[in-house]
Amino acid sequence: MRCGACFTLMEEATVPHVTLRELRAVWFQVTGTLCNLSCRHCFNASGPKEPWLAALDAGLVRRYLAEADGLGVREIYFTGGEPFLHRELLALLRDALAVAPTTVLTNGTLIDDAMADRLAALAAESAYSLEIRISVDAATAADNDAVRGQGSFARAIGAARRLAARELWPIVTATEIAGTSDGRPLYDRLHEMLLEAGVGRPRIKILPVLPLGRCADGGASRLLSAAALEGFDDTRLPCATTRVVADGGVYACPILAGLPSARLGEGPLAGALGPAPLSHPACVTCWATGLTCGNT
Amino acid sequence: MSLRRVALLGGVYSNWLALEATLADARRRGAEAVYCLGDLGGFGPHPNRVFPLLREHGVACIQGNYDVSVARGAEDCGCGYSDPRDNYFARISYEYTVRNTSTENRRWLGSLPPLARVTLGEHRLLLCHGSPRQINEFLWETTTPTGLLEKFCRETASDALCVTHTGLTWHRALPSGRHAVNVGAVGRPGNDGTPRVWYTLLSATPDLTVEFVPVHYDHESVARDMEREGLPAEFVETIRTGWWRCCLESLPVKERARGRY
Repeated sequence: MRCGACFTLMEEATVPHVTLRELRAVWFQVTGTLCNLSCRHCFNASGPKEPWLAALDAGLVRRYLAEADGLGVREIYFTGGEPFLHRELLALLRDALAVAPTTVLTNGTLIDDAMADRLAALAAESAYSLEIRISVDAATAADNDAVRGQGSFARAIGAARRLAARELWPIVTATEIAGTSDGRPLYDRLHEMLLEAGVGRPRIKILPVLPLGRCADGGASRLLSAAALEGFDDTRLPCATTRVVADGGVYACPILAGLPSARLGEGPLAGALGPAPLSHPACVTCWATGLTCGNT
Repeated sequence: MSLRRVALLGGVYSNWLALEATLADARRRGAEAVYCLGDLGGFGPHPNRVFPLLREHGVACIQGNYDVSVARGAEDCGCGYSDPRDNYFARISYEYTVRNTSTENRRWLGSLPPLARVTLGEHRLLLCHGSPRQINEFLWETTTPTGLLEKFCRETASDALCVTHTGLTWHRALPSGRHAVNVGAVGRPGNDGTPRVWYTLLSATPDLTVEFVPVHYDHESVARDMEREGLPAEFVETIRTGWWRCCLESLPVKERARGRY
């Protein structure tokens, strides 16, 4: 499935652009859109069959890491798809951690005891922090699995428990796609659930649902205009500080990785530091909600 | 005569007794000048009490995010937290501080510079609160790449970059021979299970040497004052035990692992 092909672009002349303030974060969509789950709200429509974005070659990732180091990058992120499906992920994490603090965004389903041991060893040998972000979407298995697939909740929470036991407390990341059953904030319910599950020091990040991938609605009426940005501090937008390496080149932000309209270059990072067009409905989400893709 | 030994402190957080003890200690150790890297208020009780001490001892201050916000009467402290639990406690702290800081002191906070340059022997120091590019940037030891620190030093023509904001001390000698130092905070313990607080001595010997200095003070008096002022029990417990009980969610996982909570 080709994601995002349905949305309507604004006329080029009217598209507002965001200047890169400085390159703080470099993301790698390391497995493309290959994933072992098929979550119904996935913003890049990842799944196990026919990924529309290919995985990144390890050598390519290493070249970009070296360049990012020279540019004074502050953080490295690995995402997908499911990053733990990449055969060289652990070696790449070690290389990334030699450059900067590094985060992996995962569904957690592939983190068994052996993998948790390897991650804890990697974290211990690095001077920089290794952060693991585990995605769930509700505080109960029933609500979560309705979105993310049967059995995914138990496996994700199991991974969180294993990592916490090794003092690698994960950041549990959730959207409110599943809705609420009792009116309490999702943050509070996740906090309580994690403590009950034996995941101490719960660390939680809530994200909005994005109008992309399996949730795309093509809403051209919700594209950002220059007028909407008047008086707005556009340095708060992720594209003001972030670039993403994915199949096909370097893109403006993690959620638009792979979309031709968001591609800023096909070669080195240095050639992709120009202004980013706010030409997608998802840009409205960042503008309106203050969404940050980073850990904090 | 050029300076040979200076004391750097950050994050006073209204803890006037810790500040008093720190200034006495710095004088005893031969500091020729004392610099405060900002955040005079927040967290502790009676914010006006730190100002006479700073003036009396000739402490040169720069602005922290708290000082900018208090001076302007901004909506929040601008600490840069994103977690709702962190922001809950940050709001209590900020509203108490604004309510209890005099107009004269708020005006003074607004007059402070955002950074300072100091020459120590042959070393050019750049003093700022968070980072040279952002007053509330958290430069934690385990999330601040060496490449970024080199870039900051290069772009600001500095031999040593000195910051605070996170409240935890660290020092890194950079491959270029430059240095990066987080000077710590004197208003809150170092999340190490002791109530002592930390400041930093820099000396030109002639190489740059960095010494983190622990300070013991009458923390129980401050804790009791915090209770009388109705500040949260989590703040008081932090002062008494040395373990941070709140505003923990901004910590990277390695720094989080060093604390109890």
